[in-house]
Amino acid sequence: MASKLSYVQAVSSVNPSFWNKLTEIKLNVDKLSESPRPVWGYFTLLSKTTVNQPLIELDSTSFNSDFNGQNMYVPFKGKVINKNTVEDFKECNKQDVINTEGKCLCENIVSGEAIKNPVLLNSFLLLTFADLKKYHYYYWFSFPVPSGLVLEKFSAKIISEEFNSDRLKQLYVAFQALDAMNKTYFIIENQNDKLLVHSLSSKLSELTAESTTDIYFAFFNISMDNKSIGSQLRNYAALILHHCPFLKGKTQKFVAVSVTRHGSEVGLDTSVIYNLLLPDVSTDKFDSWVGWEKNERDKMGPRVANMKNTLDPKIIAENSVYLNLKLMKWRIVPDINLEVTENAKCLLIGAGTLGCAVARCLLGWGVRNITFADNGYVSHSNPVRQSLYTYEDALSMKAKSEVAPKNLEKIFPGVNAKGVHICIPMPGHSVGESMLKQTVEAVQVLTDLIKDHDIIFLLTDSRESRWLPTLLGCYHKKIVINSALGFDSYLVMRHGCSSDTSNNPELVQDIEGYKIIDGDNLGCYFCNDVTAPGDSMKNRTLDQQCTVTRPGVAQIAGALAVELAVSILQHEKRIKAPAFYKISSKAEDLDPEIENQCILGLIPHSIRGFLSSFNQMLPATMKYDKCVACSDVILNEYKEKGIDFLLKVFDSSKHLEDVTKLTEMLADFDMDEILEFSDEEIE
Amino acid sequence: MDTGFSYDNFEKCITEIVNVSNKLLDGWKIESKQDCDAKFMTKKHSTYLDGLDGSKTLVTFEYHVAYSLSYGVPVLCFNIWRQDGTMLTIEEYWSLNQSLKDSNMHDTLTQMDHPVLCRPFLTLHPCKTSEFFQPFLENSKNPVVSWLSVVGSFVHLQLLEDYIKCC
Repeated sequence: MASKLSYVQAVSSVNPSFWNKLTEIKLNVDKLSESPRPVWGYFTLLSKTTVNQPLIELDSTSFNSDFNGQNMYVPFKGKVINKNTVEDFKECNKQDVINTEGKCLCENIVSGEAIKNPVLLNSFLLLTFADLKKYHYYYWFSFPVPSGLVLEKFSAKIISEEFNSDRLKQLYVAFQALDAMNKTYFIIENQNDKLLVHSLSSKLSELTAESTTDIYFAFFNISMDNKSIGSQLRNYAALILHHCPFLKGKTQKFVAVSVTRHGSEVGLDTSVIYNLLLPDVSTDKFDSWVGWEKNERDKMGPRVANMKNTLDPKIIAENSVYLNLKLMKWRIVPDINLEVTENAKCLLIGAGTLGCAVARCLLGWGVRNITFADNGYVSHSNPVRQSLYTYEDALSMKAKSEVAPKNLEKIFPGVNAKGVHICIPMPGHSVGESMLKQTVEAVQVLTDLIKDHDIIFLLTDSRESRWLPTLLGCYHKKIVINSALGFDSYLVMRHGCSSDTSNNPELVQDIEGYKIIDGDNLGCYFCNDVTAPGDSMKNRTLDQQCTVTRPGVAQIAGALAVELAVSILQHEKRIKAPAFYKISSKAEDLDPEIENQCILGLIPHSIRGFLSSFNQMLPATMKYDKCVACSDVILNEYKEKGIDFLLKVFDSSKHLEDVTKLTEMLADFDMDEILEFSDEEIE
Repeated sequence: MDTGFSYDNFEKCITEIVNVSNKLLDGWKIESKQDCDAKFMTKKHSTYLDGLDGSKTLVTFEYHVAYSLSYGVPVLCFNIWRQDGTMLTIEEYWSLNQSLKDSNMHDTLTQMDHPVLCRPFLTLHPCKTSEFFQPFLENSKNPVVSWLSVVGSFVHLQLLEDYIKCC
């Protein structure tokens, strides 16, 4: 009794390197051309035991002109048609597309081309649209076979029932001697109990109605089980019927070849011999073709591969950067909160040596939002010390606020870097009538910037330019990290924040040998000074105006500023984290409570370093109640009078001393003895 | 790091493996990068991974066994992709491996640059490799085989009996 054959269709499995290569070819070679490009697909010669679907694989070698099966793969020969628009991809008539391909296959059968090159019977078509901006690949495979060709099965038996194992071993050797193209479809002849293997081109034309009794039409069966057959058998039957018309309406023996392994033995033992009834049809009747692959929802429709994470170099860079940080979390500091660092918005006031060093170190921590505020232009002396600028930038005299974010993005495209060109109004730099509007605007811009950011880095080269951001940072309760450089010394400190309740600056609690100052009560950069910041540019020689420093100082201080900021972010109290300082020389070892203040260690108030002795110390100081920048008097004055107060200060820094009543106090001192902050005095 | 296992030893081992593989159609092949002498061994393997919800995902593994100059041991790098070519991340892979739940992912797997191709690959942690590898250096004729037979199970890589005969 004849019964229906059960077919399986190839199941596409695309390697990422295929999409990579397709992209490369589209961009560099094909460009707008939509003409079909030949591609190879391949099956593993050895039947898979772990997967029950016949996987046809494509990878970057699919585009090679010659197939390299390495004796492990059996080829399929296809075409990729890469459409230029998603509309073309979706709207082109799929029946026409597959019919055109089928017609082409039919021509190869009729002309005999498919006898010389049997892999042509394993035709496939891949219709694609590559959205190269998003790295989305729309694709649809089809494996055309004629719909009007019906084969019926009379019998089926495992090959080992017909041939003994010696025969099968010979058969396997002969099969392996065929080249990859001829492994797809070939002829086995049973000649006096010897099994001979012939390529189609060497045997098919000799066949007659009489000689076919000892002939087996063999084909490599892509199916993973021995109950079903790859759908391409119908193409093989079409070829046989066209070139051996005497077989129409006759039964004929076929061998569905499969290669399996048992222990150390590889062979064809699981192949199946079929007795099939060939229909009485002719090739010119094949006008309708079928074979589109179903998608992952088991529907007739295309698939989409979102390859952004795999192929977009920006995403790869981003993932690698965060992987480095994740490794820290996985292996060393499991409790670190990387998100809080990543999402911290950082404002860098000053984009010079310090600004560049801070920005680069922030990148290392995966910080995404970095804004530069600067009023300078790249000069020829800058690039060697300021790591975000090049000679080219100096030649074109570009604004640092413009170049720094651009170059930061060149280093890491995932960063959201901005620049604001701004002159920060300073105490004692008087504002004339003509400058008034500009100054008021600058105050507004700076205020907005500070409100919009979480961490404010003060990295300018003068003392007075830090005054306004110090005041605003304190007023808006931001984390303010200040860094200043001497020739061979540096200061990195965090500013205390304004407290909600006006409590007395008191020491919270003591650990033996240490004093603790609460974050609310820590001083700012100006707290140790008893003069208001004046115009430090006046009456100064060139070497005094510019910061002349040992080149490494800024790198060290910049890195410390970032690490201090990151440690603060990891403390549950953030800016209100207390600071410790040693009061007894007996306290040699750090108390564990101090050492483990946050998961990254302790959080000092300030770090003062001296390159001459390669020494560093961690002083902590309290807020000064007459401080010209962060004291309650000043904050209240600003709260009440706002810009009017600021303008008065810009006109004369003495106003600050009046407000804080420093003037009265200073009257008692001899001014000549009061020096500006100098590192050597700290000890 | 001097482990006493040189690149030449490594190349000898993988050549031996590929020779056995060719007879068994097991899929291992030797590859190299243009303008680079260093060879490595690769193989692809498709299988289903079980998700938490009982779903099965068809994936293809691509294994690379290359020699790490810095660690002085072979490293097992791999990539895994779904049917459409999208790759699995380290976390996705772990979530599809019920059998590995008892081990700590980050002690076992990491992402590293391939020693020859210099592209990121999922990698069996090389620290672990030295640990596993050392004992085989003295006792195995093919330490690469011995090592793979131990660590392969983390990445669905099963080594046939025939390779073990080389050791």
